[in-house]
Amino acid sequence: MPRKPVKLAWGIRREGRSLWTRNAVRGVSVRGERRKTDSRIEWRSWDPTRSKVAAALLRTAKDPSQLLPETGATVLYLGASYGSTCSHIHDQVCGAGNHHGGQVVAVEISPRAMRELSELAKLRPGLVPVLGDARQPSQVTPYVRNQADWMHQDLSIADQAETFVRMADVFLRPGGTGLLSLKAASERTSDGDDDSRFAKAAKILRESDLEVIERINLKGLEEQHVVFLVRKTVNSG
Amino acid sequence: MAAMSDPDWPDLEDEEQEMLSEAAAILAKRGVADAAGDLDRRLDMLSSAAIELRASWTTSEARCIEWAGLFLAEADLDGQRQEIPIAVADAESIDSAAAVLGVAAPAHQPGSTEWLALNAHATGVVALTERLGVAEAATRELARQYVPTLSMLIGPLGAARLVVLAGGRERLARMPSGSLQVLGASGAMAAHRRGAPPPKHSPVLFSLPQISRAPRWVRGKIARYMAGKCSIAVRVDHFDGEPWGEEKIAEINQQCVNIRERFPKPPRR
Repeated sequence: MPRKPVKLAWGIRREGRSLWTRNAVRGVSVRGERRKTDSRIEWRSWDPTRSKVAAALLRTAKDPSQLLPETGATVLYLGASYGSTCSHIHDQVCGAGNHHGGQVVAVEISPRAMRELSELAKLRPGLVPVLGDARQPSQVTPYVRNQADWMHQDLSIADQAETFVRMADVFLRPGGTGLLSLKAASERTSDGDDDSRFAKAAKILRESDLEVIERINLKGLEEQHVVFLVRKTVNSG
Repeated sequence: MAAMSDPDWPDLEDEEQEMLSEAAAILAKRGVADAAGDLDRRLDMLSSAAIELRASWTTSEARCIEWAGLFLAEADLDGQRQEIPIAVADAESIDSAAAVLGVAAPAHQPGSTEWLALNAHATGVVALTERLGVAEAATRELARQYVPTLSMLIGPLGAARLVVLAGGRERLARMPSGSLQVLGASGAMAAHRRGAPPPKHSPVLFSLPQISRAPRWVRGKIARYMAGKCSIAVRVDHFDGEPWGEEKIAEINQQCVNIRERFPKPPRR
């Protein structure tokens, strides 16, 4: 007996433990995901073991729709890699042919990954591939219209939290939502066990203009990873 | 700085938005194409290809010698080592290969498909030898041009390997020499984190005769000294210094000998 789908946002729904996004490019899977058609709408499976955003949606204790960007939003995605998570965010934000008028700015430093990402962007209007260093605001700033409503950072570098704060300071609009995927192994330069590293990151986030709403542990889906859900305070500059 | 990220900046028109995304696509494409101009990436491909070829050559060549040697009981597997794959590859049968090598015909003949397999294997080994030579020659040439001083100090192949392991010349140049000393010894470093004694040197440094031929108790000392010199050498290369001459290299090698002589006996336990 299939479970009743729960709508999380316009283009995203959950069925039991699986997530689906409304495929913006009919008949095409990005990384060979399953697709299914339900009353003329094509849905594309969003694998939570491969995408930290999807994992966070399943693991959050709060309302998962809080974690998601709205349709037509401006989204900044730092560390887009090959763009599989990006494509699901694009499904939600832009829709087929970008009829929502959204913008997903996907920043990635590796030319190899950018190659696939720009192929993806050809099919998906509204997805803007940027080959550059996601730590440098000046390399990203020409592409983002106004400020981002939603941003996600998934880099495997040391001091991810500092970078996130710096980028959110410039790009996230007051009241905007941010997700920071933190990998304990990337912070190996700092002492202590995983927990103390995460706590250190949380401290850096709290001392900025960002309000930490939830710390989501992805145990079981991604090991040694947490996702911080933050909101930029409204009355900050 | 963040002109367009300024909240007061006017919204882009649809047409402008369109132009922006087209421009972004072109810039991304251009950036991807530009990656081929990055010598770090080129050296990575070249050096990794050479290392992989070397690994498969070692296995294939050894198998070829053993296989042919099984039939050609009289062949000198050390003295004729280089001739055996060529002779087997060029021969019509195992008997003619034996004749070319000047040894007695085998007591047992391989089956006809078995001979075809042996012949094809030997042909592959001959081709592989050539490919390995080309790849290593190209790696040497690029390394001599890209990291001349480091190449002079530890040889171009080792220099290329260090640059690749560090993830680029700049990273290697900015690396502390203590990290350079154990670069590539990742397994030993992982064991060290779990309480094992630290590695004295990486496989790259160990391949230097100054270290591998030295007695066990001075290897760490020489490795530390050489790592220091390597990190200076790569800095000379990266930050546009004057490349070292033969004299300087000889001086460093002499210093390695001096370290050895200072510790002629193993430390007492």
